[in-house]
Amino acid sequence: MHMNDQLDQTADDSLRQSMDVDIACVGFGPAMGGFLTTLARGMSDESAPLESRAMPGMPPQVICYERADDIGFGVSGVVTKARGIRATFPDFDPAQIPLTAPVKKEKVLYLLDPIGASRRPALMKMADAAIKTFKAILPYYEDYAFRLPYIPPFLEKHGGYVMSIGQFNQWVGAQLMGSGMVQIWPGTPVNKALTEDGKVVGIRLADQGVDKQGKPDACFMPGMDIKAALTVIGDGPVGPVGRQLNSELGMPEGHHQREWAVGMKMVVDLPESCTLEPGTVIHTFGYPEPEIFGFMYIYPDRVASLGIFVPSWFDNPVRTTYRYLQHWMQHPALWKHLNGGRLRSWGAKTLQEAGRRGEPLLAGDGYARIGEGSGSTNVLTGSGVDEAWTTGVQLAEGVLEILKAGKPFTRENLEAAYVARRRASWVDEESKVAERARDGFGSGFIQGMIGMALAGFTGGRIAWPGNPLRPHERIPSIEEYYRGRISPQEIEAIRADCKARGAALHDALMEKAGWPAIQLDGQLLVSHQDALLMGGKVQAPAGYADHVAFTHPEICAKCAEQTCVEVCSAQAITARAGGGVPEFDREKCVHCGGCLWNCTKANPQDPEHAVLDFRAGAGGLHSAEN
Amino acid sequence: MEKILCLLHTESDGSLHKSAFEAVGAAKDLAAGLSSQFAIGIVGESVANAANAVAGAGAEKIYAAQGADFAQPKYATDAAACEALAKAAGATIVLAPATSRFSRVLAGVTARLGGRIETNATAIAVTNGKPAVSRWYYRQRIETTLSRPQRPWVITLSPGSLPELQLAPASASVENVAVAAPASRTQVTGIQSPPADAQTIRPDAQLLFVAGAGWTKQQADGASHIDEAEKIILQFLHQTGASLGSSKSLADMSGEGQKILPFMSHLNQIGQTGASPRHPKGLATCCHGEEPHVVGWRFISERRAVNTNPGCGWAQGKTDVLYVADAFELMRKVEEMLG
Amino acid sequence: MTQPLHIVVCGSIVPDPLQTLEPVSTPAGPGLKNEMMLPAVLDPWAACGLFEAANLAKQVAGSKVYLVSLGPKAKLQQVMMTVAQKFPFELVAVDGPAGGFTEAAQVAEALAGAINAIPGLDKANMLVFGGWASASRAAGATMQMLGEKLGITDQFQGVDECKVQPDGSLRILERIEGGRHQVSICQGPPIVCGWATGNLPEPPNNPQVGMMNMRAIMPALQKAKPAQVAQDGVEWVTVQLPQQRRDTRIVKDVPIEEMAQEIVEWIKK
Repeated sequence: MHMNDQLDQTADDSLRQSMDVDIACVGFGPAMGGFLTTLARGMSDESAPLESRAMPGMPPQVICYERADDIGFGVSGVVTKARGIRATFPDFDPAQIPLTAPVKKEKVLYLLDPIGASRRPALMKMADAAIKTFKAILPYYEDYAFRLPYIPPFLEKHGGYVMSIGQFNQWVGAQLMGSGMVQIWPGTPVNKALTEDGKVVGIRLADQGVDKQGKPDACFMPGMDIKAALTVIGDGPVGPVGRQLNSELGMPEGHHQREWAVGMKMVVDLPESCTLEPGTVIHTFGYPEPEIFGFMYIYPDRVASLGIFVPSWFDNPVRTTYRYLQHWMQHPALWKHLNGGRLRSWGAKTLQEAGRRGEPLLAGDGYARIGEGSGSTNVLTGSGVDEAWTTGVQLAEGVLEILKAGKPFTRENLEAAYVARRRASWVDEESKVAERARDGFGSGFIQGMIGMALAGFTGGRIAWPGNPLRPHERIPSIEEYYRGRISPQEIEAIRADCKARGAALHDALMEKAGWPAIQLDGQLLVSHQDALLMGGKVQAPAGYADHVAFTHPEICAKCAEQTCVEVCSAQAITARAGGGVPEFDREKCVHCGGCLWNCTKANPQDPEHAVLDFRAGAGGLHSAEN
Repeated sequence: MEKILCLLHTESDGSLHKSAFEAVGAAKDLAAGLSSQFAIGIVGESVANAANAVAGAGAEKIYAAQGADFAQPKYATDAAACEALAKAAGATIVLAPATSRFSRVLAGVTARLGGRIETNATAIAVTNGKPAVSRWYYRQRIETTLSRPQRPWVITLSPGSLPELQLAPASASVENVAVAAPASRTQVTGIQSPPADAQTIRPDAQLLFVAGAGWTKQQADGASHIDEAEKIILQFLHQTGASLGSSKSLADMSGEGQKILPFMSHLNQIGQTGASPRHPKGLATCCHGEEPHVVGWRFISERRAVNTNPGCGWAQGKTDVLYVADAFELMRKVEEMLG
Repeated sequence: MTQPLHIVVCGSIVPDPLQTLEPVSTPAGPGLKNEMMLPAVLDPWAACGLFEAANLAKQVAGSKVYLVSLGPKAKLQQVMMTVAQKFPFELVAVDGPAGGFTEAAQVAEALAGAINAIPGLDKANMLVFGGWASASRAAGATMQMLGEKLGITDQFQGVDECKVQPDGSLRILERIEGGRHQVSICQGPPIVCGWATGNLPEPPNNPQVGMMNMRAIMPALQKAKPAQVAQDGVEWVTVQLPQQRRDTRIVKDVPIEEMAQEIVEWIKK
């Protein structure tokens, strides 16, 4: 599936242009921000001027291509210790960046189920009952939520910041472009890396002026080849170029990317009655389903960033993040702050939660990997932005060293200059602690929580044993998941009804399982389509091929779960009325990539992957507030 | 004391469009509010009929810039005429309907006069003895009322936003203002109309019919039915004489190589980057959650929508009635009954 | 024989039309909440003008396209990164507010100053393009005023087509009422065109063109001079979002005949 030649959208190369640069970069996120900021500073050092090999007489030509229509679209709100970011900007002033505030208060809430529809293990039900029994004397209980009296040190973010990565990226990007040392081109998806005998020699941009299938149409322009001595890949957890290299060049022994989560969030104008202080950080777990984690960060000017993470090990074949988000927001412990608020922005993204175990080959001849796609996200500390930034900085330091020495970008040179730096840093040290921290979740929610605590408190020496499985080995059938709650006959009736209407199953199943229908208020509780339009402002430019591809339609047509339809964060993948291969509407896709790792059908040619491919595509979210 | 001039132009047959009577009404009200007088200035090939039509309005004077040079709407000649009329009247405030003819030229005239302009105003009131103009910014998204010290102040009024002054024709005395028509390198050669059967934009229609992209999308049976959509829409327009508006996404589809409704073009587009037509009634057929989130909706008095999604945020709170139904089915039935 | 054209396109940035806007008052008058945070795009009608300019420049050998933009430097730069990939043009940047509440007369003055200062501009063969209105002010005033400042009295608004004819004259279609177009022939440049949507699709991005353009655009941005534009003495009585939430009656789960009947009666009323 990931063979290089099959990725070519068109065979017609007669019109294809080619350009030489020194360093080609894929994806502009925090990692690339760290890389380019450090590189641009090094390149502007007049005491040691560097010269381009691609364009002699000029400074090195560094170009970064970003899929989204602007830098900072479609990322997330974070709480971060900002160690790496502050090392780059020692005078970091949060007031310069909108939606940024120093962390003031941190709370972790265990949310009980006020509805009675949550699917809780017996042990948890017992704990819930005990909390309710003793709530009168428990000082930490309020509004169906139990506040943990103590935050484990590995989770604490004190001294850090809450920030909007969209705004942070815009701020970084504006400084970078202002430096004139590097170019960042938004709205330019990269189709693939160009490889020759295991070397990366550059990248190929996506074809334009093609139909949905990628065939030449009006205004056809084949994607340009950008030849570069070094290709830096920071295209994130589901980036097609990173995944292409994983497939083509292989992963290190024992490494795989099987753990993920989809994070869906909103930026909300809080009601006037809300008294939460800027810098407040609330983390939740336990509700709407035990496996779903939530967050709420308070920005200045009564704005909050909030959302949930639905992890891959929550084995519900019809898991639907948007619906769960709406139930989560309405939990009494949160709704008291949110009721009367207004949706400003909305979005979703995938997190690569395999961490160190998902680490690909970090460098090779002509290329290096940085950021979340390189396994930098730490699932134990719940931190990824600072780690990603730091890997970018480390690569830039290494690249400057190599450039100054006039050496080529070979695997050996990049390993010595970049990988060695990374291995010697806190990023790597902490990733080892986190490596097995979540294995317990494979066995169950409680085992998972214990496993995280064990790993956190023992520095990773002890963890709950487990080995993450591939989606098709893990996700049960709908009948199995709802056993004891909805009968197979009822499921069949719901399935037949939804199939006829071309509707997803999740709303019908959730309501059958006891979740109340969402009462839309048109402000904060809005329909999913409104979240796209009002919050995400989702759109896609014309002339690009569909980037979600059903590679084995015969398998999809027979698929009983069609989890891709259920999980789609934006209702871009929809059930075909009357059944069959799902449909994809490019104009609605937010590029979260959730479909990629939720497909329950193994690819016959490559069982590590599924029968749905997520390729290079343009467009997506149009909000820089996320 | 403000000197108010109401600028008008004739239609090709020498008559006045109804927006002219709206502007005259506004000038009359403004003059009354400021305890002042107003004059009328008319541009056209021959203004006698037009002048008679507004003779009863109570203007202190009617000026005219007339002659063959002013028969056709053209920047150079119209600008010269309007400039001369404003100067002849010594106007401090100029009111005019925002027709295509005046919209093309009055900002330029304002520059010549060294004044300031408010365009597409929707109301003029007098507050604290000062005229205050209501107009939109950011397309139809932010509404303001403002006043300003600079004069002359030119204000063009959005047609359809003010009541028409009802007048009986009378005999007018007209003061001709001599305007030397400037040499112009431009010749207006004619009007290009869309083919009669595609004449789907009708600014004077009672009803605006808005078609969303949903018409071209896959329907409940899993297939798209563009031919049928075309039939239903055209039939409805034919039966009701409604004007046709479309969402941007529908108008844009031509660029994407999709099969689209052939009679639909960017001229039909309403909303953010399209037109903002004014009609007494509007019926939006959103279809299958593909809501035409059109700001053009704003200037429609009575609004109804058809959508399969009752929670649709673009209909809720914006339309008076939302019919939750399949637009194909419902519109077919409507046409049957209109039959 | 047609002389090479010098096409000056005036266009700045506006908040991406999909964004939610909210007015706030600032010491300098009304503005938008989080104005600098809102994603920006090249003004859509001006962008149509720019695409048409590129198309004309391709047809008339030796022609050149300038984009004159008045806007905040930092935002302009980001928008240019997308526009610069479309086709070759030269950017003339003027640093100043791009918000809708800025006075059109002053914007026209600033643009005229910037255009007059373009070295080597052939004003006799100049086409001045822009949007017939901007998506921020939506007034349709600036281009006419600019034309007056430049002494051009062959002006056209709501233009959907501008063709160079074999004799060098220009055939122009302007939108008028009723979905019709007024057709004019102008002997040749200089003219002012305020564009409506035109007929051209958005050109695809070409990274090579982008590279070439950016080499000149970056210095132009760095050189951008601040413009003296403001809100010019306007007294704002009210600035608000339209308040028109309606009580929507939802009709569902009733037979289609009933709905149809209701609609028919309403139409006939």
